[in-house]
Amino acid sequence: MFLTMKVAFRNISRQKKRSFLLAGAIAFGMLVITLMNALTGGVVGTIRDNFSHALGGHVFITGQEWTDAGQMIMKIRPDENLDRLLEENATQIEAFTRRSQAMPTMIFGSKQTMQMLYGVDFTEEDKLLDSLVVTQGRLADVLVEENAVILPQPVGERLGVQVGETILIRLETLTGQQNVGELKVVAFIEDQEELGLSAAFTSRSYLNTLLGMDQHEYQILNMFVTDLSLVDSFARIFREGLRTPDEGEEEAEPQVAVMVAGVPLDPLAEAEEITPWEGTRYRVMHINQIMEAVELVVGVLNRVGLVIFLILLVVTMVGITNTFRMMMIERTKEIGTMRAFGMHQKQVKNIFLWEATFLGLLGCVGGLVLAGVISLIVGNITFDADPSLQFFLNQGQVVFDVSLASVIGNTAIVVLISLLAAYWPARAAARMSPMKALSSHT
Amino acid sequence: MGIVELHNVRKVYTLGKAEVHAVRGVTFSIEKGDFASIVGPSGSGKSTILNLIGCIDQPTDGVVSINGTVTQGLNDKALTRLRHETLGFIFQSFNLIPVLNVYENIEFPLLLGKDRPGKKEMREWIEFLVEAVGLADHMHHKSNELSGGQRQRVAIARALATKPQIVLADEPTANLDSKTGQSIIELMKKMNAELNTTFIFSTHDTTIMDIADHVIQLLDGLIVEDTKKSAKVGSLS
Ligand SMILES: Nc1ncnc2c1ncn2[C@@H]1O[C@H](COP(=O)(O)OP(=O)(O)OP(=O)(O)O)[C@@H](O)[C@H]1O
Ligand SMILES: [Mg+2]
Repeated sequence: MFLTMKVAFRNISRQKKRSFLLAGAIAFGMLVITLMNALTGGVVGTIRDNFSHALGGHVFITGQEWTDAGQMIMKIRPDENLDRLLEENATQIEAFTRRSQAMPTMIFGSKQTMQMLYGVDFTEEDKLLDSLVVTQGRLADVLVEENAVILPQPVGERLGVQVGETILIRLETLTGQQNVGELKVVAFIEDQEELGLSAAFTSRSYLNTLLGMDQHEYQILNMFVTDLSLVDSFARIFREGLRTPDEGEEEAEPQVAVMVAGVPLDPLAEAEEITPWEGTRYRVMHINQIMEAVELVVGVLNRVGLVIFLILLVVTMVGITNTFRMMMIERTKEIGTMRAFGMHQKQVKNIFLWEATFLGLLGCVGGLVLAGVISLIVGNITFDADPSLQFFLNQGQVVFDVSLASVIGNTAIVVLISLLAAYWPARAAARMSPMKALSSHT
Repeated sequence: MGIVELHNVRKVYTLGKAEVHAVRGVTFSIEKGDFASIVGPSGSGKSTILNLIGCIDQPTDGVVSINGTVTQGLNDKALTRLRHETLGFIFQSFNLIPVLNVYENIEFPLLLGKDRPGKKEMREWIEFLVEAVGLADHMHHKSNELSGGQRQRVAIARALATKPQIVLADEPTANLDSKTGQSIIELMKKMNAELNTTFIFSTHDTTIMDIADHVIQLLDGLIVEDTKKSAKVGSLS
């Protein structure tokens, strides 16, 4: 075993150029598949992060209830059951927000614009203000006046409004009535529009009055979890904990189909044949449900990559088979000698198979190193790309993330194909008659 | 009973439709410790007979017995084992494994077996052999860094590595100048005397044949003369 391995290993460096070419071809295939995996793997992570950021959480809870007039509205009332769940699972929650939201028309003078507006409990969300980048005004002023608003800088420019001035907003209440209010601009912030997140902030209590809600009510509970890998089970705890007894169990994982202004909306809510219910029904969704579509695309891309990889390998395989056939002829006398001294057929075969294995591994290592170097270089370039592309980038940079499992899997494929390619020449070499081999003139 | 016995051995090669009678009924016996030489002109069947004794070829007819084992009917595995256990080989063109150095080439046959000697014992034995063939200074050289004579010395050491009963050498001096060839035969003779290993070599060089104590002369696949010298000639002194 060690002898055959040793001879095989030495044989690799015998015809350096030839080994280099073969290993190089394998390395190229490995490079392609690894970069493909790394790129798609990284993009999934990046998109998940960007989505979480844009949506403000990993798990989203909304509540729906029916008004006396038979209208379904989306809101969450103060709920002891929900509070208890939050408390019980506090260790798993990195942060949570309870916000109201609206898409009002903002009017200043003759100009107007539609803008996402969040109603925030600034005392509860004490970290929000720190995370915003002020370009003008003072953020802390939102705590002073109830109808204070923080606007993205571009929105302010569009409206031509200055800090300290008051704008008008027109919006619909939850039940669909027109309403107007006034907001006093206290600060401008840098927009995060590249993430599809252009948000203005005002106090929740003020927005609630405009929406026709009580001060302590809100529309959506967003949670960031500490361990993203547990998000499914975490969401399930809330889904089960919040289910009312009269609710069916069927919709374990509601499909997220429509998203309006960053909020996943349940398409069934608009369906006709829903019988009204008493109280609030909760809907718990999480980021992975949204990521499913992304992962589907990524899965397809990876499969395409695998096909390219396999095609490259099959082409290489032909090269390996031919090379091994050549090696067998070149080494005929040597094989005869080894056989004469008592090397068994199987051991001769093993020399060739070990050689193929080493060649494959060499190619894999080469390809991985190359992929590492390339991803390191490309990963450090900051792309000033189109905003829509920024969604696939992490602060303008491509993220490469390859799983150990896929590397091991691809290496196994390479080694398997190398072995397959070398098998017939190896067998032929082993079955040669020692006498004929020794009398050969090569 | 000799360590090598051939009885009515025939070997017919078929080349397409033509039949070549390489060996046409040969009977002889070689005793343990013999320094035997098979001589004859080109095509007389020397290599064929050595291949038959070396268990890398099988007779068409007749019996070949090596160290008491009849080779007939043995499968490849058994023949391989028999070669490993009882035979050593020296070739005309040296046939060292190019990727192994001098030490490793000599060690090579030892590593093929299942029951190997201990590590230390093995190293001492190989070092003894390297010393005996006069290559102590070239232990870690590859074969392409050695002269033909040096390569053949390595080959002699390698042939002796497993302490075989019999060492076969098909024209071991044919690729060497006569002086080097002479020294190679003398080295073989020395090892034959020291280790009591049976050597069988083929040659068509009559000066070299004189050193042998048992000469089998061939012509056209038949023995024309089989002489055993009781008083050993050409001993090193
Ligand atoms: N594998 C083979 N197939 C066909 N014919 C063979 C084969 N090997 C040897 N022969 C023939 O058998 C005869 C004896 O050959 P052999 O090689 O034994 O002679 P030799 O005495 O070793 O000659 P040389 O001194 O040239 O090496 C020759 O006629 C040769 O052509
Ligand atoms: Mg010959």
